[in-house]
Amino acid sequence: MAYSEKLIEHFENPRNIGSMDKASSDVGTGLVGAPACGDVMKLQIKVNDEGIIEDAKFKTFGCGSAIASSSLVTEWVKGKTLDEAGEIKNTEIAQHLALPPVKIHCSVLAEDAIKAAISDYRTKAEEAGSGGDRELVSEQAAE
Amino acid sequence: MSATQTDGADRAMAGKTSIAQCWSCQGPVAQGQSFCPTCQAIQPPGNPEHFAQLAMEPTFDVDLAQLEQNYFRLQRTFHPDSFAAKSAKEQEFSLRHTTNLNDALKTLKSPVLRAEYLLQMRGAPAAGGPEKTVNDEGILMEAMETREALAEADSPSDVEAIVAVAQAGILDCTTDLSVAFADGDLTAASALTLRLTYLFKLDDEAAQRARILSRSA
Repeated sequence: MAYSEKLIEHFENPRNIGSMDKASSDVGTGLVGAPACGDVMKLQIKVNDEGIIEDAKFKTFGCGSAIASSSLVTEWVKGKTLDEAGEIKNTEIAQHLALPPVKIHCSVLAEDAIKAAISDYRTKAEEAGSGGDRELVSEQAAE
Repeated sequence: MSATQTDGADRAMAGKTSIAQCWSCQGPVAQGQSFCPTCQAIQPPGNPEHFAQLAMEPTFDVDLAQLEQNYFRLQRTFHPDSFAAKSAKEQEFSLRHTTNLNDALKTLKSPVLRAEYLLQMRGAPAAGGPEKTVNDEGILMEAMETREALAEADSPSDVEAIVAVAQAGILDCTTDLSVAFADGDLTAASALTLRLTYLFKLDDEAAQRARILSRSA
């Protein structure tokens, strides 16, 4: 199977590998995967007071396409607001990396991971009070 | 609906006792019978159900020795060599029978494939769908932590410890799965089947890692 240059580049030089403190209130963690197939993906975001994603890290065990998909997403979300980051679609990931059809589910996993991380951050912020209220208000206003 | 179609439907409704015609002598052959009772000609294999095919009860707790014994006995009965002197049609039927026996053995021998097959037989979808993605924080955390430990393991004894965990997990999970199937708890059986697949995968990858480490040692 021929993989695209972009995919191989992300696989060989993955960006933002690592972990952040999962317990920290400004960190959102998304954990997704198919453990039965050996795929687990952890994607973490660090959000500043303005609701902007300052930093992102990932750790993925799985195939090259899963690693490249999560690496790409950590690059894309940096500097985005939570709402913007939540709009990333798996089709954009698959298209950018030119994923072969059998690997489309890897891009789905990466989309699920960023959505899970955002939702984890929002749940934490909500529980903590102040910061979360602002988030909720802006969300309701948008609707 | 014509009269003949109704007739056909009635016959199909009779289910297990439905009678077909022998392709060779036109005599009656009961469904599931592999040889014509009149002319002894081999019959085409019907809809293959793996357990029935190997003369086993449809249960998760299969007796593996019995399974293999039945398999070898049936393989001898249907082996294409025994039909070498027969017509092309009979040779084809014998080949189809043996192929089905091979598929049945492969499925029933493996605990994971057997569990998946039982779930499918009972109309319960396997957990996680075709991509096997799960939304279960517990197993995801466990998988992430174990995979991290495996990636960081740099001595054969570290890896052996992980293999031991995986194998103990496989034993426990198999026991739980047997109970879940016996109780008819298909939701639990489905989740446990996924867990068992994960544990076998882990065992496999740990063994691979052990091989790499022992080579570089």
